[in-house]
Amino acid sequence: MDWQVIIANLPLLMSGLAKSVQLTVVSILFSVPLGCIIAIGRLSHRRWLSGACTAFVNVLRSNPLILILFWFYFLVPLITGRNVNDLTSIIAAFIVFFAAYFAEIVRSGIQSVGARQIQAGLSSGLTYAQTMRHIVLPQAIRAMLPALITQCIVVFQGTTVVYVIGYSELLHTAASIAERTVRPVELYVTVAFIYFIVCYSASRIARHFEKGAA
Amino acid sequence: MSQPIIRVENVGLRFDSFVALDDVSLAVNAGQCIVICGPSGSGKSTLLRCINGLERFQKGDVWVDGVSVRGCQDLPKLRRGVGMVFQHFELYPHMTVLENITLAPIKAKGLSRKQAEDLAFHYLDRVGIVDQAQKHPGRLSGGQQQRAAIARALALEPKAMLFDEPTSALDPEMIAEVLYVMRDLAQGGMTMLVVTHEMGFAREVADEVIFMDRGRIVEHAPVDEFFSTPRAERTREFLNKILLKL
Repeated sequence: MDWQVIIANLPLLMSGLAKSVQLTVVSILFSVPLGCIIAIGRLSHRRWLSGACTAFVNVLRSNPLILILFWFYFLVPLITGRNVNDLTSIIAAFIVFFAAYFAEIVRSGIQSVGARQIQAGLSSGLTYAQTMRHIVLPQAIRAMLPALITQCIVVFQGTTVVYVIGYSELLHTAASIAERTVRPVELYVTVAFIYFIVCYSASRIARHFEKGAA
Repeated sequence: MSQPIIRVENVGLRFDSFVALDDVSLAVNAGQCIVICGPSGSGKSTLLRCINGLERFQKGDVWVDGVSVRGCQDLPKLRRGVGMVFQHFELYPHMTVLENITLAPIKAKGLSRKQAEDLAFHYLDRVGIVDQAQKHPGRLSGGQQQRAAIARALALEPKAMLFDEPTSALDPEMIAEVLYVMRDLAQGGMTMLVVTHEMGFAREVADEVIFMDRGRIVEHAPVDEFFSTPRAERTREFLNKILLKL
């Protein structure tokens, strides 16, 4: 074992981690709001709207992330006839894919609040939108916070998929260092440790909110 | 006599094949208190929901202060003219009592926070829980929660109040404090339509009593007549059961 290789390449690994985190954060920042919109759409009384949103969720959740990534990476430039840069297509794929999962979490959160609270809001003269915003969503978000955080961990782990198209996030960075230095054991152990630290801390936070909600 | 605050005319409502309301008509005049009783599933709560447009009915119409619910273009405005109190309070658990009360006056009516809070404290004082304003509903007893819910409805300064079994979810010793507040309101001239099985309250406070069964009004009479000489056999049966229980 030669851990010197880790110390020497630490800045490189850290920049890989930064890219992973960046990809995670940007994906979450856009897929959560998109998920909220789709969730509300699924609960709509308008058949075409709830049908379209349900179809979106079902199609996306029935496909592996890597395939969605290929779609955006190879097919979208082909269809649109334009060159899309790597990072853009990766982020677009992540947002669309994870929006489907966030939509399901948000939907069950909204449904946990109950119709009678909505009636109370409406009967006091609030509009449906105001009732959603001030009464339903704040309670729903509290109820679904643990599941949301858990899903964010999944997004973070999901970023490793971009390895296949050569985007230099943490795993890809580690792999190329391992190849160059011929020290795969040290590198993959280190990378595993980093993933563990990040994901385990996040899951502790999720647990904290779970206890708070109970 | 001026026009009634609430007028229900020939309202019919069915869910698929189930008839929830069948040709229901009634009128509540300004300052009147009318009590509706009847077995569960008789359409009492559904009727209250029709009055503020929470439930869509297929036949007839309801007028609130002269405005037709069926043709209403601005339901939020109509609804804030009618205060509603629920069986399970339906306070918002993520807000303090004060925030519960000021939410609709600020967001729906456009009052300033200061105006809304003054109003909230006024009505909290009226229902006797001004000291609970900063607490969350979960910290209050059932009776206090229901009084907070009444204050929340009153803060919109409605023309009429609808009560949907306001004491059914309460422990016996807390029923009295809620009824006390309601009695006080009725005596203060509030127009009220109350779904309840509290026959003592009906006898003492109501001007008229309505008995409903299977979506129909079976009996509608002034309070003395209702208790002394009920006309329908079904009413007598129900009264016997409910009064024997007491």
